Amino acid sequence: MSVLGANFRHDLEIRRYPLLLYVLVPLTALVLQAWLPRVLGSYAWFDLPLVVTVYFALGRRSPIQGTIMGAAMGLFEDALSHHAIGINGIAKTTVGFLAASFGVRIDVENHTIRLILNFLLSLLSSAIFVFVYRVMLGLDLKWQWFTEVFRAIGNSLIAMVLFPLLDRLLIRE
Amino acid sequence: MDSFFTRYRNLLVLLAMLMAQIVGLAVQVRRTDEGRSTVDPTDAPGVRLIRLWAEAMVAPPERLIHGSKMGVSSFWQNYIDLRHVREQNHDLQKTIDRLRLEQASLLEDARQGERLQALLQFQQRYIYSTVPAQAIGSSGSDQSRVFYLDKGSSDGLKPDMAVITADGIVGKVRDVFPHTAQILVINDPTSGAGVILETTRTRGILTGNASGLLEIVGILADNRIKPGENVVTAGGDLIFPRGLPVGVVEKVLRDPDRDAFIDVIVKPAAHLDRLDEVLVITNTQPRFSPEQQQDLTTSEEVKGAEVEAIKDQLKASQIMAERLPGLIDPNLPPDQQPLLDTSNPVPVAHPPQALHPDRFTPEATTGTVPVASDGSKPAASGVPQSAKPQTAKPERNP
Repeated sequence: MSVLGANFRHDLEIRRYPLLLYVLVPLTALVLQAWLPRVLGSYAWFDLPLVVTVYFALGRRSPIQGTIMGAAMGLFEDALSHHAIGINGIAKTTVGFLAASFGVRIDVENHTIRLILNFLLSLLSSAIFVFVYRVMLGLDLKWQWFTEVFRAIGNSLIAMVLFPLLDRLLIRE
Repeated sequence: MDSFFTRYRNLLVLLAMLMAQIVGLAVQVRRTDEGRSTVDPTDAPGVRLIRLWAEAMVAPPERLIHGSKMGVSSFWQNYIDLRHVREQNHDLQKTIDRLRLEQASLLEDARQGERLQALLQFQQRYIYSTVPAQAIGSSGSDQSRVFYLDKGSSDGLKPDMAVITADGIVGKVRDVFPHTAQILVINDPTSGAGVILETTRTRGILTGNASGLLEIVGILADNRIKPGENVVTAGGDLIFPRGLPVGVVEKVLRDPDRDAFIDVIVKPAAHLDRLDEVLVITNTQPRFSPEQQQDLTTSEEVKGAEVEAIKDQLKASQIMAERLPGLIDPNLPPDQQPLLDTSNPVPVAHPPQALHPDRFTPEATTGTVPVASDGSKPAASGVPQSAKPQTAKPERNP
């Protein structure tokens, strides 16, 4: 439970970014997530807001910040869809919290670990989405498990490119 | 107590966030009379406000991206790809002329149909007015097949209006904002449209499945439904006017849940994955609109005279054909028919005579002996007589 505590032993290792980046990167991710499926059609197997949430949650290592960011991104995605608002919100809130909690314990400089974590959290996000939709709300959802696996792979591929790019914008002290 | 909140504040924040969203979901989802859960189709004011904020944040960048894309393509089309434009323009003008002629000739049929429908009190709805719009964004999720248009309530759009392209139906307006509108595509599982199969006249409900394919559900097993059959809107859903193309039957599958039913998979006529420009039907009318009437009148004025001229020409040619001697005159004996007229500069080629005449040979059935042009009998060796024209001039009856 030390992960859930307030005193982080990694406080000194918190990654910091330019303030503008906290606004621009999530907004860009949301806009691209809304626009790219029009270009790629049914092959848009990725979730850019999730990738960005995982990246900042891992880097910031603050479960509260990760939770809030995940909730904001998820609610935003829900608002653009015709689903009830909160389904993606719950999924990404949990993912943001877990990513930040893992960030406390793992070496976030290790690229491979971040990619694996991204893949697993993508699957978890899909699982929570389906759970909330079908079990909690009792709504009829038609989904295919392999699509969710493809999406997790797509997220990992994007993370492979995006994470090093965002690392370059890190404020070095 | 203070240390408890301090110690578990991360967890408490998480639980608070989750609980708030669960409560929010509980407000939005309700139970139907049949005991099924469903999302309230009309958003509560708070929910609508969140959607409005999200749309207001995403729409401007999307418009910018879309505008840039359109600008580049416009530059390409207007300045670089201008080859053969003059020829295309000429061809298009010809097509317009031809279509105007066709329209003018069809006008009377259309009016007659309208009169008959009025007599039968048949409330057929025609497309009265449309608003062209550009698709600028999507929901970003394949679980929610919606997209956004760059036109909204300020352009006259309202919920439940039909969205179409020239190829076929696309979906309906689900939600309208001041300058944008959310469109629910017909291949979404929550979508539905009344359709009819063109040949078998089988009616059904069109909806989407998990893969984004269109399927007609609730049809009793019918062997007559074959791939390739056209599917059109039935007009009973009060959204899509009747007769709009939907797609063609791709395959017919057994309903996995109900043995007596089948699922008809439909290939959409419109390119649902690559939508760019669409038309929103903002109004439908049971009769021709004044604009349509004006179009038809214009067409009639412009091309109606030509149609009349063509009709006159056809009539004159028929009269001439009746007055002029025909190729076969029933009053003349066979050897004096106009066909045998050698004054004709283009002689009529006779078919070669049969090598072995039998009872099916025309001359044999009549019992006459075939006579060659020079009056001699046909060669017994079987060599066909030449089909040279007759030398004798035919006599005309006074």
